[in-house]
Amino acid sequence: MSFIPGQPVTAVVQRIEIQKLREGDNLILGFSIGGGIDQDASQNPFSEDKADKGIYVTRVSKGGPAEVAGLRIGDKIMQVNGWDMTMVTHDQARKRLTKKKEDVVRLLITRKSLEETVRHSMMQH
Amino acid sequence: MEEYDVPSAASILASVKEQEARFERLTRALEEERRNVSLQLERGSLPSDRLVGGTTGGSNQPLAWQQMVMQEQSPSNQTSMMQEPQEVVEETVTIEEDPGTPTSRVSVVTSEDGTTRRTETKDNVTNMKVTKVVKTITRRTFQPVVLSQSKPSTPIPPSTTSETKPVTKMVKTVTTRTVRQVPMGPDGLPLPEGSSPLGSYTDSIDRRYMKNGERFITPQATSTLTRSYNNYSDSYNDTPDSQFRHYGLHDGYGDMPENYGSLSRGVNYRPYRPYMPTGGYRPENSYTLPIRKEDYGHVAQPQVPMGSSTVDLNRSQPERFQPEPYGLEDDRRSLGPDDEEAYDLEPDYSTANRRTLPGRTIREPLRNGPRVRGYEDPIEAELIDERHPYIHGMYPAPLAQPERGSMASLDRMGGRRSPSIDSIRKDPRWRDPDLPEVIAMLGHPIDPVKSNAAAYLQHLCYENDKIKKDVRQLKGIPVLVSLLDHPKAEVHRKACGALRNISYGKDHDNKVAIKSCDGIPALIRLLRKTNDMEVRELITGTLWNLSSYEPLKMVIINHGLQTMTNEVIIPHSGWEYEPNEDSKPRDAEWTTVFKNTSGCLRNVSSDGAEARRRLRECEGLVDALLHALLSAVGKKDMDNKSVENCVCIMRNLSYHVHKEIPGAEKFQDPSALQGPGSAGTQRKKKDDAGCFGGKKAKEEWFNQGRKNGEHDKNYDTLDLPKRTEPTKGFELLYQPEVVRLYLSLLTESQNYNTLEAAAGALQNLSAGQWTWSNYIRATVRKEKGLPILVELLRSDSDKVVRAVAIALRNLSIDRRNKDLIGSYAMRDLVSNLPSGQQRPAKNLEEDTVVAILNTIHEIITDSSENARSLITAQAIDKLVAINRTSQSARETKAASHVLQTVWSYKELRNGLTKDGWNKTHFQPTATGTPKGSKSCKPGYDDTTLPLMEKNQECLIFHPHFSAGNRGCSGGDMIPMDELGPDGYSTIDQRDKDSKYKSSDGSSDLQEREPLKNDTNRKHYIRSNRPTVSLVDACDVKPQPVDSWV
Repeated sequence: MSFIPGQPVTAVVQRIEIQKLREGDNLILGFSIGGGIDQDASQNPFSEDKADKGIYVTRVSKGGPAEVAGLRIGDKIMQVNGWDMTMVTHDQARKRLTKKKEDVVRLLITRKSLEETVRHSMMQH
Repeated sequence: MEEYDVPSAASILASVKEQEARFERLTRALEEERRNVSLQLERGSLPSDRLVGGTTGGSNQPLAWQQMVMQEQSPSNQTSMMQEPQEVVEETVTIEEDPGTPTSRVSVVTSEDGTTRRTETKDNVTNMKVTKVVKTITRRTFQPVVLSQSKPSTPIPPSTTSETKPVTKMVKTVTTRTVRQVPMGPDGLPLPEGSSPLGSYTDSIDRRYMKNGERFITPQATSTLTRSYNNYSDSYNDTPDSQFRHYGLHDGYGDMPENYGSLSRGVNYRPYRPYMPTGGYRPENSYTLPIRKEDYGHVAQPQVPMGSSTVDLNRSQPERFQPEPYGLEDDRRSLGPDDEEAYDLEPDYSTANRRTLPGRTIREPLRNGPRVRGYEDPIEAELIDERHPYIHGMYPAPLAQPERGSMASLDRMGGRRSPSIDSIRKDPRWRDPDLPEVIAMLGHPIDPVKSNAAAYLQHLCYENDKIKKDVRQLKGIPVLVSLLDHPKAEVHRKACGALRNISYGKDHDNKVAIKSCDGIPALIRLLRKTNDMEVRELITGTLWNLSSYEPLKMVIINHGLQTMTNEVIIPHSGWEYEPNEDSKPRDAEWTTVFKNTSGCLRNVSSDGAEARRRLRECEGLVDALLHALLSAVGKKDMDNKSVENCVCIMRNLSYHVHKEIPGAEKFQDPSALQGPGSAGTQRKKKDDAGCFGGKKAKEEWFNQGRKNGEHDKNYDTLDLPKRTEPTKGFELLYQPEVVRLYLSLLTESQNYNTLEAAAGALQNLSAGQWTWSNYIRATVRKEKGLPILVELLRSDSDKVVRAVAIALRNLSIDRRNKDLIGSYAMRDLVSNLPSGQQRPAKNLEEDTVVAILNTIHEIITDSSENARSLITAQAIDKLVAINRTSQSARETKAASHVLQTVWSYKELRNGLTKDGWNKTHFQPTATGTPKGSKSCKPGYDDTTLPLMEKNQECLIFHPHFSAGNRGCSGGDMIPMDELGPDGYSTIDQRDKDSKYKSSDGSSDLQEREPLKNDTNRKHYIRSNRPTVSLVDACDVKPQPVDSWV
């Protein structure tokens, strides 16, 4: 998902709902995130545009809630429970995801394959 | 103004132009739409329903509209308005298709330039909801639909054909589909019944609603939201015709590049409701809006801590955001303390301000403009003049509610129009107020002007030392301070925010300026008065900043110590004066306010004996700190900043307790006066026989104390003062019970500063010759603290090693401890020594090396057994190398003393000679202070003497270097001398220098501890120090971080 600074961005998004796994006091989502506006975006291996400071899924634990829900490595998280994730610090994103009070997180994610699918189907129409 | 704004490039100008073009286009579209609507109106009373019609249940239809409306406020809107690099998805309204057809996925993707793509895909991903982004349908009806728009940057020229086309499209889309409306979550996703992710918002909504009510009382009400409500009720009571006109009006603005208007637009769609077939307009429904708004507000917030370039962008276009301060406030309230840090509030707050300000500064007066005719600010007048014709020209149609309507739109215009501040550079009619003007506005009779001016100042001062200085020189600080006493929360909050930013940084003149106009008592007064968490955070943050400057420390103590203790420390620590027997003891809450306040106290606690006395005697302070720390240990939550602050205060207050507390003389240990070494020889022999004759298991070893009759006796017969009542206040500092606390911290904490402080506290408590220090030394041993300390000698942190080494030194005043440490710590001590010019991997600092050498010296003094251990640990190599080749005179000297002491044991010389050493190796080098081994003795005596006042916190035993020891003098050991760029982190003097070099003090209290990661301790450790430099504004590249969630 590339963008031109100052221009709106178009993205195809998918909704993913993850039911957190409770393990003792901990709620586990089973994936890890990288990125954030306080991070060095150029080191993000998943972004197409190296200036993209968005939050990306960096790892998904096997069989974990995130994998079950369909989250994949490299997905860019756009929103978490309605909260924007494209302009947050790493820690803000983490906190938003790990609310103890919330058993479910609803993510809006985007990934390259989604875009392609859409583009493909658009051609057909 | 130019000089303060970093011009954010032509791109902004270009986009502004583009937006203006779009605005025009939309205006035309609006006309079109209005015609359309009135046509529909003529057709029947339920046109909108029919339009959307389909097979769906009629009662759901109005929701469709609502969703579309809501969608207007969704982040997608902001994206268009913000023009920030990371634009958001155009995902907006989701409509679930018939449950039976879950595999067909329809997406309509829109971008702000009017591009719309609608796609339908067959998708087998089961969890992929069938979504359709309907954003286009409502709002984009006016816009050309281009199915494959490839150049988003090209503004689409308005053309009549493209305007009408989407409308048809809308009808088509909607009517050919079976659409079931689902309530929408804030993410634009269908919301399961009753499980609103934002369910907790009801609170805030109520409050907001009240604010709405107040609005009629106070004409200064500033909330956009409020105004929107008013518009809403207005239009709701109106004839359909006027409603549509409203709708048209707002929507016309609606597509303006600012999100400011989005809310209003949302509200003004509502009037469709009366046409609901099922009738029932329920006022509660309007509550959905604030939710949206809230959502929106938050999306905007995270934008604060952006890279410097973006900050610049923000500076020039801050008004693109209109996060409502109410929204923030409400949000916090409803989220509860648990979520308090969800978005670091301070950054958020600043964001809000920064974003809001400029828009508001201009908007507010504007709003008041027509009413308050007397207002003469040239800028205002100009703005008003500008806008009126604009509006009137645009909406010639009579308005149902002319005044309010126009006011509302005026307001929104104000908010929206101001971005053209960016075009000010082209258009001289628009400009930001300059600094003198802003400062003058602080004294404006109208409160919102004041608060906006203050907020704008906060924004300007952020990361800008020059502006801070200018504000000071323009005498802005006294005005801001005087606003602290303003009754209106909005005003004192913003003033406080500005002061916090101004007080930050290395420019002490700003701090002094705040103090000179009695800012400190004013802050304290406000702290007593306000219950608003946010204001309290700002106050305590400011005080923390101020407390980093030595001359202000006592002022803060004089004015604020008891207040801060009573208002913040005690309540947040969970400690109670008289614990209710029924209630469970409360845990400490690590709130920002507590963190700030403890940081402030930590700073002031290093201001010498008088400061320590005041803090010790401050009622409830020590009790509360101790309680907080015990609760931290209990919860195993001791890596945070608040704990660090508390331990540091405790350490500082423990310094010189044996001299400074009232009645300390009574506890002086008479036996100690003869010197700790006097009984050594006899004891040593016993020990040799009893404990060290053979190898023993470590466990057993550490339990040895009990077996040794003499020591047990010594321990048990300590003439402890009788406790007739529970200990409280400063006495708690040195009760043996605290040993366990510090040892727990040393075992569990991952925070180097906390470790250092806990070791320093033990060091302080075990220093000196009085009853309590004897007891403390014995307790450390009994609590199995020695292995814990020895373990920490392997720490990676220089200062931890240093503090631990010195603590071990003080502990070895106890003969039993000395023997144990000599046998078991020697290897770790020696391994920290550099071998010659080669530093060990750790590369410890000179201070640390000297501290270790002095500890070794203490341990081997009067213990040939320990000296033997030293030789066994192969220390002689290293010591000789240091003695001969070290660049540091202090290291050389300390090593020389150790060597002389070793040589003084005649029984060891044989072995040493066999190893190839001779006398010359153990004699001081030419550069040293050569006096032969006997010179150690006077030095040795020195070690037991309490040290100079100048060593602020730690009683450090450096036999010969105490006076000149950098390690314990001045800034290095002062816990919280300056704020790091991460806001509040303690940084060492040495870090400080380099940091300022790199970041030039550029960061204010906006972005803090961005990488703290408590789910992963290793991360924490890693980020613990690096956070200091992890500020966007500096060049330092943050490490990529991964967080498991």
